[in-house]
Amino acid sequence: MLFLSPIFLWFLAAAAVPIVIHLINRRRHKTIQWAAMQFLLKAARESRGKKKLRHILILTCRALSIAALAAAAARPIASGLLGWGGGSIETVVLLLDRSASMEIKPGDGLDSRRQIIIQKVREAMADLGNPRLVLIDSASNNPQEIPSPEILADLSSTAGTDSAADFPTLLNRAAEFLTSSTERAEVWLASDLQSSNWHHHDERWDSARANLAALPQKPAIRVLSLTGPTATNASVRVLGSRRTGDELLLDLEVLRSREARGSTSVPLTTNLNGTRTTENLTLPGQSLSFQKRVPLPSGSETGHGWLSIPADGNARDNAAFFAYGPARPAASLVVAPAGETAEYLALATAPPGYGNLSSFRVDPVQAAQAITPDLAAIFWAAPLPTGATAEAIQQFLTSGGQVLFLPPATASQNSFLDLKWADPSEAPAGKFFILSDWNHTDGPLRDSIDGTPVAANRLKAIRRQIPLGDATPLARWEDGEPVIARRILDRGTAWFLGSIPDYTWSNLGDADVLLPLVQRIVEAGTDRFDASYLTTVGSDSARLLPGETRRRLDDFGTPDPANTEYESGIFRLGERLLAINRPPQEDSPEILTREQLNAALDGTNFTLLDQAGQANDPSLSRDVWRAFLVAVLFFLLAETLLCLPKKSHPEVLPQKSPA
Amino acid sequence: MSHSFIDNDLLSRLGSLPIESRLPMMGNVAGKHRSPHRGSSVEFAEYRKYVPGDDTRRLDWKAFARSDRFYIKEFEADTNLRAYFVVDASGSMKFAGKGEAKIQVARRIAASLAYLLVNQGDAAGLSICTDKLHLEVPPSRRAAHLERFFSTLGKLEPSGETGLLPALHTIAEKIGQRAFIVILSDLFTDPAALGDALQHLRYRKHDISVFHLMDPQEIDFEFDRPHRFVDLEDGTALVAEPNLIADEYKTALRDFLTTVRAKCHDASADYQLITTDTPLEPLLRDFLTARLPKSKH
Repeated sequence: MLFLSPIFLWFLAAAAVPIVIHLINRRRHKTIQWAAMQFLLKAARESRGKKKLRHILILTCRALSIAALAAAAARPIASGLLGWGGGSIETVVLLLDRSASMEIKPGDGLDSRRQIIIQKVREAMADLGNPRLVLIDSASNNPQEIPSPEILADLSSTAGTDSAADFPTLLNRAAEFLTSSTERAEVWLASDLQSSNWHHHDERWDSARANLAALPQKPAIRVLSLTGPTATNASVRVLGSRRTGDELLLDLEVLRSREARGSTSVPLTTNLNGTRTTENLTLPGQSLSFQKRVPLPSGSETGHGWLSIPADGNARDNAAFFAYGPARPAASLVVAPAGETAEYLALATAPPGYGNLSSFRVDPVQAAQAITPDLAAIFWAAPLPTGATAEAIQQFLTSGGQVLFLPPATASQNSFLDLKWADPSEAPAGKFFILSDWNHTDGPLRDSIDGTPVAANRLKAIRRQIPLGDATPLARWEDGEPVIARRILDRGTAWFLGSIPDYTWSNLGDADVLLPLVQRIVEAGTDRFDASYLTTVGSDSARLLPGETRRRLDDFGTPDPANTEYESGIFRLGERLLAINRPPQEDSPEILTREQLNAALDGTNFTLLDQAGQANDPSLSRDVWRAFLVAVLFFLLAETLLCLPKKSHPEVLPQKSPA
Repeated sequence: MSHSFIDNDLLSRLGSLPIESRLPMMGNVAGKHRSPHRGSSVEFAEYRKYVPGDDTRRLDWKAFARSDRFYIKEFEADTNLRAYFVVDASGSMKFAGKGEAKIQVARRIAASLAYLLVNQGDAAGLSICTDKLHLEVPPSRRAAHLERFFSTLGKLEPSGETGLLPALHTIAEKIGQRAFIVILSDLFTDPAALGDALQHLRYRKHDISVFHLMDPQEIDFEFDRPHRFVDLEDGTALVAEPNLIADEYKTALRDFLTTVRAKCHDASADYQLITTDTPLEPLLRDFLTARLPKSKH
């Protein structure tokens, strides 16, 4: 609570007047000689309970009525936002979350959370007597002095964006701004508390808290939590896109709000180079992931488009953009001595009939020369590389390539990335090593996008070699030893498979496991070429390089020229064609918990205003002097009622009658 | 009789009303009160059979003529009454709120009744009691005795704690013959012990009358500001807000009065609760009238 005329708070001392009068009155007692002392002593003993309480209540009511009168005269501003701090605020630093998730509408209104909070901040500023307002928005992270809160809603720097917010950075910027300020300041964080925007485990919170603590005038921190029920919403996003010849394969995901129940039908509109098609999607639950094949016009080298769903609770998550370039063949390198393993690998990397897939085999000694950056993946079935070959493969991995290592089929002490093969081991006679447990959501044996599992349990082996070292197992034999292990190196991934497609080793050659595994590795290796067309708002690749200009190519929605940098769409940045989408974390419904918020803002003594984003909560602050006057009347009325004599007093004199 | 507590006009107006005893008295001279013994008054009592040795002068010859049997006709014996006025002289009797001090009212009642008793030929004695003093004026029916009675009352100065209960027990033990005991006190003592003392007197077949003297302020307990109450008997002090404790005080007092009245009733004592602002004449007139035998009303 804040008081616009705090001078009147001095009159709070007048609340002590009834108590002082009472004490003086007690000292001004009259002495009287009394005979019936035995009754007086008994009465004094018995009246210590409720009578004394009643008297204390009367005194309390009198004191509180005076205090409430003084408080009303001080023009109190009540708000959960403002807490109980006294005095006036000279500067308010508003950290405004302009992320895509802030465009969701609460369940009870037509405006988005961002619009509602801007309106409430404007009203609160007016109630506070319009102190200095500094805005740091989550898109630009730059402090901006706002001449009048009235124009807050009209500024481009408060408009909605498709970007994500980064609150550790915002708070650090606020601390930097306040370093030179000696005014009594408050920092208001207006956010929907989306967990991904707060990075509550981030070490930057330590520096933010330290910077705030080091300020000459420590500001009060108020968190305007914009949580609560929302309007019905669905979102669409592109998980990935890959061109295969004359088709574009789009991995898509459609999400519905957590409260959504039952299946529903959503029209999905695809716009490819200006041509629109619409199809109905049936959403059986809260999310649907699927792969969409988009036929490309013949002869189309490059192009772009978007997918959209109808307008709903959040207008910012109804479209996903994509772009594509010329088709690129996926070439794989098989490094293995000639033999059954090499043949199966060659067949799995480039099955007949897939013209864009190709592979070639080299012996391990020739590998260093054969490794080039345009390879999709390398399949290595030989002793682990060393020397110059190892360096070449590490560089290939660093640039985003994929490498699958298979056992050399002999004992070898070579190691790569501190990993090496154990000696070959053989299953007991009449028994097999059987793959029994694998990761269904991650890795090359993951379930397909429509949920169909890979038949990995059909893999049986007579012989095996176990990868030893620091790698993440993604599939295990029945005895718990790893079959498939992963080691990520920068942008690339090195995979280790514990057997080889050789009939003396296993049934990998049956293709139930080998084909999907190899093809997914090839696909992952190819994605890094197609991925250059997809990026997210705020990422490094979405920024202009020296000499580049930004030009928007699509006509989806109503772009804001002042916020082009923070909006999704199809852009040409210099010579680069980019489909820029909102960051995927903006679709995450995960909200920061109170414990996580406490941990992030630990030591700042922050105040949390819950549900500030609800439209039916009219204001962040209210002039509440009337409430205090009502309180005065209430206390006076209570005092009067407590002072009223009892209706019936005890009759002392019994009826006289002779004995 | 120039004592302030004696109202000659009042006494002359009340002179026509006798003081009657509710119980037969055992005096040493003839009087106007019933005696437990048969005597020679005009009041017929009963017939009884003649036994050898009876005074033949008391034979009822008319009865003999009718029944041919000897009957002795017996008459009530009238005797005088001895009254003891027990006046509580504890410090609490000094209290004077809205009316006179309780001791002054006690003086007036005792003096008036003593005058009326002596005037009708009965004896009146005085017993003044505190915790340290038990002063007695023996009963006498001589008119000259009254001056001593009044003088002792006049010099009475209440102080200290009450000695009423020991005094009542002493009187019960000391007075051999039936007597009329008039107790004038505020009875600020243990009601149970008071009940025992009254029962003691009753056991000795005394006719007991209790004048319970209270000041109106003690009953109403109306004060407008905090007071420091100092006990008149032992000096104990208590600072209190009367408004806060009035209800409890009145409840305690009411319970006390109810108990005292019940104790008096149990001992067949004549109980009168007197506030000090009560006019004396109607008070005494009612008292005397109530004691008249039914036939004399």
